[in-house]
Amino acid sequence: MKATLTIAKREFKSYFDSPLAYVVICLGLALLGVFFFFVHGFWQVDRASMTMLFSYAAWGLGTLIVPVITMRLLADEKRTGTLEMLITLPVKDSEVILGKYLGALGLVSVLLLATALYPILMFKWPWHLGPLDTGPVLAGYLGLLLYSAAAVAIGLMISSLTESQVVAFFVTFIVLLVMHKVADIGEFAPGRLGEIARAVSFEANLTNFARGLIDTRNVIYFLSITGLCLVMAFRSLESRKWS
Amino acid sequence: MSTDVMIHASNLTKMFGSLAALDRVSFDVHKGEVVGFLGPNGAGKSTTMRILTCFISPSSGTAKIHGHDVFESPLEVRQKLGYLPQRAPLYGEMSVWEYLRFSADMRQIDMGTFKTRLRKVVEVCGLAQVLGKDIRTLSHGYRQRVGLGQALIHDPPILILDEPTSDLDPNEKAEVINYIREIGKERTVLLSTHNLAEVEAACARAIIVSKGRVVADGTLDDIRAKAGNVRYLVTVDEKNAMTGKAPTATVVRDALAGLAKVQSVSETPSDDKAHAFELAADKESDIRPEIYRLAVEKGWILLELRRDAKTLGDVFRDLTRGESLHARGLADRDDEDEDEDEEEDDTDDEADDDGGDDEEQDDRESDAGDSKSKSGSSDKKKKD
Repeated sequence: MKATLTIAKREFKSYFDSPLAYVVICLGLALLGVFFFFVHGFWQVDRASMTMLFSYAAWGLGTLIVPVITMRLLADEKRTGTLEMLITLPVKDSEVILGKYLGALGLVSVLLLATALYPILMFKWPWHLGPLDTGPVLAGYLGLLLYSAAAVAIGLMISSLTESQVVAFFVTFIVLLVMHKVADIGEFAPGRLGEIARAVSFEANLTNFARGLIDTRNVIYFLSITGLCLVMAFRSLESRKWS
Repeated sequence: MSTDVMIHASNLTKMFGSLAALDRVSFDVHKGEVVGFLGPNGAGKSTTMRILTCFISPSSGTAKIHGHDVFESPLEVRQKLGYLPQRAPLYGEMSVWEYLRFSADMRQIDMGTFKTRLRKVVEVCGLAQVLGKDIRTLSHGYRQRVGLGQALIHDPPILILDEPTSDLDPNEKAEVINYIREIGKERTVLLSTHNLAEVEAACARAIIVSKGRVVADGTLDDIRAKAGNVRYLVTVDEKNAMTGKAPTATVVRDALAGLAKVQSVSETPSDDKAHAFELAADKESDIRPEIYRLAVEKGWILLELRRDAKTLGDVFRDLTRGESLHARGLADRDDEDEDEDEEEDDTDDEADDDGGDDEEQDDRESDAGDSKSKSGSSDKKKKD
């Protein structure tokens, strides 16, 4: 367990050793602001609602931030050979996977926490733009966290399958995009197929959270994706032994 | 298995698809030994080391480190090991201190122990100047030292070093070899390389692998002896003689070939004042007195007479020769053809400047080939 945390800590810190973490956080916040206030038109809606913030945050995380953060996790270590150094330390393969996962999820969480600046600045201090219902905001953040957990696990799994960061980025990007929008495609699909598409879509599973509703089905959905992808990443890492 | 066997490999086989990277490799390394693991590139050195460090698993066979099976208890194995993979892959964004601290953390070493260990490691590996620097800014030599440092931070009884001197300049090589000698005083070390001089400098024993098989295993003297014969270098003055006329090369050659126990004589290149010959004879006897007597009897002026064993390099080339021929698709030809092919290959080597890791080895090979070809051609001239 201690090894897991050591790896997670190193991974998390290494993001801040390069400009990546700063760029991701600053750009993420700026883009979120632009979309929330100008594209969505927060002022025109004239309601103290953060629902759309969560929708945009999920979009940004899925399509840009998570792929950028997870692309190098294992792919780069495989390419440079540092993985050999890491794995031949007294550490289990599962601890390597979990450590890397927690390190990346840590950075995403920091970004999520940073977005909390928006509701706090707008509704608590220094401005009071209206009475904000805190329940849905907290539920929305829980949803985003679960969503990030699943997305990072998917990115880690894909990163474990290739030695190229670029490939890892694009595959993760496409998978997350499809997972996000599969419900929209499902609109056109007939009957049962459409239902399945809605059930596995990220967006559909996030809407409840943004409205303040914590449904166990949605929670289990995100947690199962996380678990499944972590196990697959572990297997993929282990497969080096037999190839 | 006696208790002082630190590394035990038995019938290790590793298949990559249908290619056997390792074919029943077995050896033991005992406590306190520094063993050179030699072989051409692709012979299976790294594969063996990766199996020993539990990075990959063998297709069949077993290996034990410090009595722990690599398959059943990989964590215990890794606790006992310090490992430096090829090219020392390190996290470039970390400083040397951070990296060593990370390795220590991963090995559950507390801060107090770390500080005392660090002092030792910095001293042995010469890292005092670079502790605060980022690894990516360091030269190859320093990276190797940091790699050695992380392998030593937990004071392991066994060290496995995969080509610790590749990519280094000659000074750095010598330094790293010195460090390894220093480290090897109280530890068991398995060191892979294809640089024979290093093995001779640092190791008492060598294991030579070729095409995934162990082709020689023993002390350096044993391995040299395995090659069988010794050679004599004889140089006779061409212009002057003690009595009578100065000898021609053919006369000297025939007279030397007439000596008992001489297996072969070949002329080697020399300046125009002397005839130089290389004689091969079995290693049991010393024929220098006979050569001297012959020279006195004929009235030749003997400029040089030297007996030396085959170098480890010769042995290495003999043992692994099949592999390079195989790679060139020439494995089934007979000996005569081999020599010619080697000459051809030499020109390739010279043309090919980016020899990389193999440069030194290739140079030696081409040197040997050159002298051979020259002696061959001068032989022909004489016959003409």
